[in-house]
Amino acid sequence: MSSNLILNIIIFTSLAGLSAFAVFQTKSLNKSEEDLKKLKKSFDRLDEQAKLIVKTDLELNKAQEELDKRLNGLDALQQTSRSMSTTLDENEIFNRLDKSLVIGLGFEKNIILIQDKNKKFISRIKLGIEDENIASIISELEKSAEVLKFLNEGDTLSSATSPQDMKLSIGKIFNVEHFIISPIMTKNGMIGIMFVGNGTISSAVTEGDKEMVSILASQIGQSLENARLFEEAFRASQILDTKVKERTKQLASILEEVKYISKAKSEFISAVSHELRTPLTSIKGYASILIAGKLGEVPEQVKQRLEKINIHSDNLVQLINNLLDISRIESGRVEMSIEKCSLPDIIENVRDLLNPQMREKDINWKAEINENIPEMLLDKHQVERIFINLIGNATKFTPQNGIIGVKADYDNDTATVEVSDTGIGISKDDISRLFDEFYRVENTINQNVKGTGLGLPLAKKIIEAHDGKIWITSEIGKGTTFHFTIPIKQ
Amino acid sequence: MSINIGIGFSQDINIELAAAKAVSESITKLGKQRVDLCLVFSTIHYPPQKTIPIIKQAFKSKTNILGCSSAGIILSDSIETRGIAVLTMCSDQVKCGIGSTFNITSENVREAGIALAKSTLENFGQHGRQVSLFFIDGQIGNSSLLLKGLQEVMGNIFPIIGACSSDNFQFKNTFQIYDEKVTQHSATGLILGGQVSAGIAGRHGWRPLGKPRIVTESNGNIIKKIDNKKASLLYEEYFGKEAKNLGIEHLSKITILYPLGIFIGRNNEYLLRNPINILHDGSIICQGDVPVGSEVHVMIGNKDSCKKAAIEAAKEAKKNLLGKEAKLVIIIESMARLKLLGRMASSEIQGIRKIFGEKVNIIGMYSNGEIFPFQTDEKFKKPLLQNESIAIVAIS
Repeated sequence: MSSNLILNIIIFTSLAGLSAFAVFQTKSLNKSEEDLKKLKKSFDRLDEQAKLIVKTDLELNKAQEELDKRLNGLDALQQTSRSMSTTLDENEIFNRLDKSLVIGLGFEKNIILIQDKNKKFISRIKLGIEDENIASIISELEKSAEVLKFLNEGDTLSSATSPQDMKLSIGKIFNVEHFIISPIMTKNGMIGIMFVGNGTISSAVTEGDKEMVSILASQIGQSLENARLFEEAFRASQILDTKVKERTKQLASILEEVKYISKAKSEFISAVSHELRTPLTSIKGYASILIAGKLGEVPEQVKQRLEKINIHSDNLVQLINNLLDISRIESGRVEMSIEKCSLPDIIENVRDLLNPQMREKDINWKAEINENIPEMLLDKHQVERIFINLIGNATKFTPQNGIIGVKADYDNDTATVEVSDTGIGISKDDISRLFDEFYRVENTINQNVKGTGLGLPLAKKIIEAHDGKIWITSEIGKGTTFHFTIPIKQ
Repeated sequence: MSINIGIGFSQDINIELAAAKAVSESITKLGKQRVDLCLVFSTIHYPPQKTIPIIKQAFKSKTNILGCSSAGIILSDSIETRGIAVLTMCSDQVKCGIGSTFNITSENVREAGIALAKSTLENFGQHGRQVSLFFIDGQIGNSSLLLKGLQEVMGNIFPIIGACSSDNFQFKNTFQIYDEKVTQHSATGLILGGQVSAGIAGRHGWRPLGKPRIVTESNGNIIKKIDNKKASLLYEEYFGKEAKNLGIEHLSKITILYPLGIFIGRNNEYLLRNPINILHDGSIICQGDVPVGSEVHVMIGNKDSCKKAAIEAAKEAKKNLLGKEAKLVIIIESMARLKLLGRMASSEIQGIRKIFGEKVNIIGMYSNGEIFPFQTDEKFKKPLLQNESIAIVAIS
């Protein structure tokens, strides 16, 4: 009984224990399940976050890729611009373009078509496009009136923004899925197109690509326009250069002719003058004999005529001498008798010589001569003739009680002389011709006073023979000043 | 100097001229008449049918030519997404042998690996092997099978560096170069031996994101179900609107930045698998095997983690040279990293250059799958096919 009881107690206790254990195990299992559920929930939450991270990362990667592409494009653009801007040769522009264009922008297919004179496209750069496909691309493009219309208006077309039918049409022409086609414009309109494209779906073009290609096409247009303008200017300058050369040649030929004529003229004048002087000497000699009454007394009237013959013969001799001198100086045949001279002394001598004529008209002599002018190496006789001509002219054109001024001064290496009068003055047109041989200004004085028109040309020739210069300033009604300079050679 | 190196590069738009310039620069820098090995990396803008004959013509003696297409070229001082690079090598002490296998189909990938290994070893001859470099067509679905074939012949722990050739994200224009042959669906290889040392290392720098998931149905490199749901749902959920816009057939174009990471518990590391295609039934095709029961994560990387991983790999590769000075650094880097790093890609290479010294010759390519010894605590690390990684081989 007791053993049964004990057994029962043991069984009961065991059952109770088992029950308690079962309850505990169930609770524990429930807790594990709950933990597992919590863990699963945590994992799921983690996974949701991971999905978010992947999506964000994907977007960031895309943005990064786009940014990299833009930066690469900008690099290419900068390099291309720099490279293009340093040449004005159209072929060289394309040579420089190809590498930076393709490698920098990173498109699979690239082509630049430029229109020729007949507005037909020709391929200038192509990469990723086979030679045999070029003709059909050009042909198809030229048939695509709508595409060309947009391009002619300066619009850049892209597969990202073009209408579906146009996208398909352009894609078919160039055999690509994604593309940008931009016109190459100049001031005169479209001259070509730039096309870039990709075949694969992962290489879709973006708005940034479109901008980039558009800018590049515009720069190509500008560079080509500059190159063409330069080419035109260069050609024009070449034509001009040729014309100038031809004209120079003609002028040189004419100059040679003129020199020949001038020489012939000088030789003619020289010969004629010599031939004239001999009979003139006889005429003058016979006239003098007759005047002197060596062949018997001549009536007064005859004598008067003979004296006129004598005077005219003198004038003629002077004219011939001047002509001979000009001719000699021109031809370089004159032998200058250079010696040390004092310019103030020469001026004083000439004044003495011409003083009677000046007195006749009560002309005032006003001299400002720097007495310190050093002695110069001059042909005294010839230089006297300069002053005789200039002062003689001044006397001729200065009215009664007028003033003739002579200034002479010097600086380091040049003597400066001015001979002025208070005469009627000379017009600008006449001034320009005053040193022409035989030119005489048409005025009332010249009509009444005889002259050869050789005095001033001779003076000029003598000054030039001394390496000097002569020029005139004049004011109508107030007077004229002749200026000349002669280098001081000691 | 026991090994002479010359690297030439050109991006001339004239294809033939670019090849001529690159090889000429390379030979000039090499400074030798004889060229034992020529490695060519080219972007698809330079059709190898036009460039390789010109390159071959430049060599006066028989030269082993090897190479592949790439999404970009890595050089000592720049990253180029267009161009052709030529590495020439000459050494009396270094031995090299090249091999190839063609017409690879989904049915014979492993056998192709075996054939490639045998072909390369046969050409290499009886010398001491140091390191091997393989270029596998990036269009081959399961390159890890090819690696298995290679390892069956060469051994599981023999240092293998490999690159799956790439193009500019088109996944259709890849090519391999072997001597004068330019082929697709092929693989080529190189073994270097003799008096040469190689320091190898690789990293990825991607980090797991979100909750772990279990591969519940797979067949080799095809993941059919994850957590008993169609596999593509994972990415569809993560990418949301973007996935819908792209459509399932183009989803793989962005999954390249978010590979799957297979958790390797023992090392607390993740073996990356890049989804190369997503089928209409929602299956994800990866470049390497993903066994049933694998714990997978969606992985994420950023510029800093990528650069940090590259520096770590460079330091380890240098360390593995055991104090010898690197003459040449070959970099095999995932094209996904180029996409992620963008304009900062060159700063990553500058970081590597600093570690090996300014004078070191660097050449590299952007791949669509990388083979290098997987980072473990073990002394002998087994080469595995990985993705989104950078593999560095320093040669002394």
